[in-house]
Amino acid sequence: MAGAGGGNDIQWCFSQVKGAVDDDVAEADIISTVEFNHSGELLATGDKGGRVVIFQQEQENKIQSHSRGEYNVYSTFQSHEPEFDYLKSLEIEEKINKIRWLPQKNAAQFLLSTNDKTIKLWKISERDKRPEGYNLKEEDGRYRDPTTVTTLRVPVFRPMDLMVEASPRRIFANAHTYHINSISINSDYETYLSADDLRINLWHLEITDRSFNIVDIKPANMEELTEVITAAEFHPNSCNTFVYSSSKGTIRLCDMRASALCDRHSKLFEEPEDPSNRSFFSEIISSISDVKFSHSGRYMMTRDYLSVKIWDLNMENRPVETYQVHEYLRSKLCSLYENDCIFDKFECCWNGCDSVVMTGSYNNFFRMFDRNTKRDITLEASRENNKPRTVLKPRKVCASGKRKKDEISVDSLDFNKKILHTAWHPKENIIAVATTNNLYIFQDKVN
Amino acid sequence: MEVQKEAQRIMTLSVWKMYHSRMQRGGLRLHRSLQLSLVMRSARELYLSAKVEAHEPEVSLQPARSPDPRLHPPREAEAEAEAAPLDGEQPSPEPMDTQEAPRAEEAPARGAPRPAKVSRKRRSSSLSDGGDVGLVPSKKARLEEEEEKEGASSEVPDRLQPSPAQAEGAFPNLARVLQRRFSGLLNCNPAAPPTAPPACEAKPACRPADSMLNVLVRTVVAF
Repeated sequence: MAGAGGGNDIQWCFSQVKGAVDDDVAEADIISTVEFNHSGELLATGDKGGRVVIFQQEQENKIQSHSRGEYNVYSTFQSHEPEFDYLKSLEIEEKINKIRWLPQKNAAQFLLSTNDKTIKLWKISERDKRPEGYNLKEEDGRYRDPTTVTTLRVPVFRPMDLMVEASPRRIFANAHTYHINSISINSDYETYLSADDLRINLWHLEITDRSFNIVDIKPANMEELTEVITAAEFHPNSCNTFVYSSSKGTIRLCDMRASALCDRHSKLFEEPEDPSNRSFFSEIISSISDVKFSHSGRYMMTRDYLSVKIWDLNMENRPVETYQVHEYLRSKLCSLYENDCIFDKFECCWNGCDSVVMTGSYNNFFRMFDRNTKRDITLEASRENNKPRTVLKPRKVCASGKRKKDEISVDSLDFNKKILHTAWHPKENIIAVATTNNLYIFQDKVN
Repeated sequence: MEVQKEAQRIMTLSVWKMYHSRMQRGGLRLHRSLQLSLVMRSARELYLSAKVEAHEPEVSLQPARSPDPRLHPPREAEAEAEAAPLDGEQPSPEPMDTQEAPRAEEAPARGAPRPAKVSRKRRSSSLSDGGDVGLVPSKKARLEEEEEKEGASSEVPDRLQPSPAQAEGAFPNLARVLQRRFSGLLNCNPAAPPTAPPACEAKPACRPADSMLNVLVRTVVAF
């Protein structure tokens, strides 16, 4: 499988950038989720305006083998609209929190998209032929005068311009009191889970009028609330296993065979806090913002504010690997609290063969950690490097002391430019990195 | 003193963020509210411990009181639990100040019914102290918070509890302002800023009325 190496072994090149060029960002265009499908041919993005845009990779040009196919817009549709909850006098945002693809079973593609309250199953299908030559109808659809019909003919399909249609096939609503943060499709491809701050529900993809509650951490007295669920995911191979992370930095692995309500975890993954790192904001930076299983299912990765941790499912008391994403921010936590950056929820992802992990940071930087070589690299998603096949130059942040040439000091970092969402092609070294309103696609250099 | 000032600043900031978060589209975020309240609690603990250290040589009673900040959270949590059904409906019995000092070690349960009304009474006087205007939200906002059942700060003023240990010190007025304005906020568990459903669930019979009030209150907030 491709995707071996990261760090300094492969060179990343700019491939494409999608989105508006101007600096004036419309809030509705802010990208809120990015996801490749199972083959990597399709790349979906969701934005704050409730829109989903799907890009499709062109078939590789065999003659020009110096680059892989480009991603072009395949389909755009409005997934969610703003709603109003009259009972609670609350507006429900249309922002797409997550998109998850279903594996392809026939010609059509299916994905789940969710906002804070409602999950929708979308079918994306192609239409490239249409029937022509109706016996009883004119070409425009009007019925012909029956007396003029003298012969019998059967309509035939003729090619037409490709049309990609997206239609909502299922709407899963009214099951979450709190804000949905995750959806995850089970390896049985029949069920999926949705998680909000306090509860996780199990759905069947065909059934919209009911779901099973499988985790409920809401205390009887809300005053006793000390932690919330921040992310949840099904195991990639075991259809009975899922994990959920909490705002306290713990991950619980649950087995649905044990009981109907999985309030008691099978495993609890927690690393004792390093007392030397204890600070005023320790509690909130330990909150896990994302959890992702490796493709193999042996490991899982968690992202908290300052680090990425890899856990072996067989070892609960500490992670097997820890990577510091931007340790230089530890001394700046107070400022980051003031400007709300400390609440940013970064995601993380694995490459296809689980050898490299990637996550975002500030100043439009993103980081990759090679688990084998233990090398890491910082790259920048910027329009300055936007000539195709321009090799990205590694970046370095100078934490203190003398700043070397080409280094950027911590105080110069732009905290408004944050990369929260990244995705890695399941099979190749192609990555999609979302800045505020642009989507960058990078590939490894093909010689 | 620096530590105190910093802690105070963070407390103010946190309260502001909490208030502000209620205005956001999509409603109150439980996770955010929890995180804000955690920071506020840490700031409060820091503030109180710094205050205690600062005033240790000055006040003879202080050593006896120094365990109070530690004891307060669990005791006040109990008090709050008792006060939960009594949301801001009791009339204020009498002025708080004279009672604060002697009540240092007494059962907090008696303090439980001290409700929001007391703080409402005090508001003008504390403002005129010239104390920390920045710490005190506007009167209008305060009323909204006290009436509204949902939202972060709402449940907190309903449970404002006097913090007996803090009456003395170099800045008694400041301490009192902080106590009255924020002791509820600061003494609360992170659970303090919950979302609508729990409050509603506690009083199912009242739900329709609460919603109406909420709509009205939100109108006030919006316009």
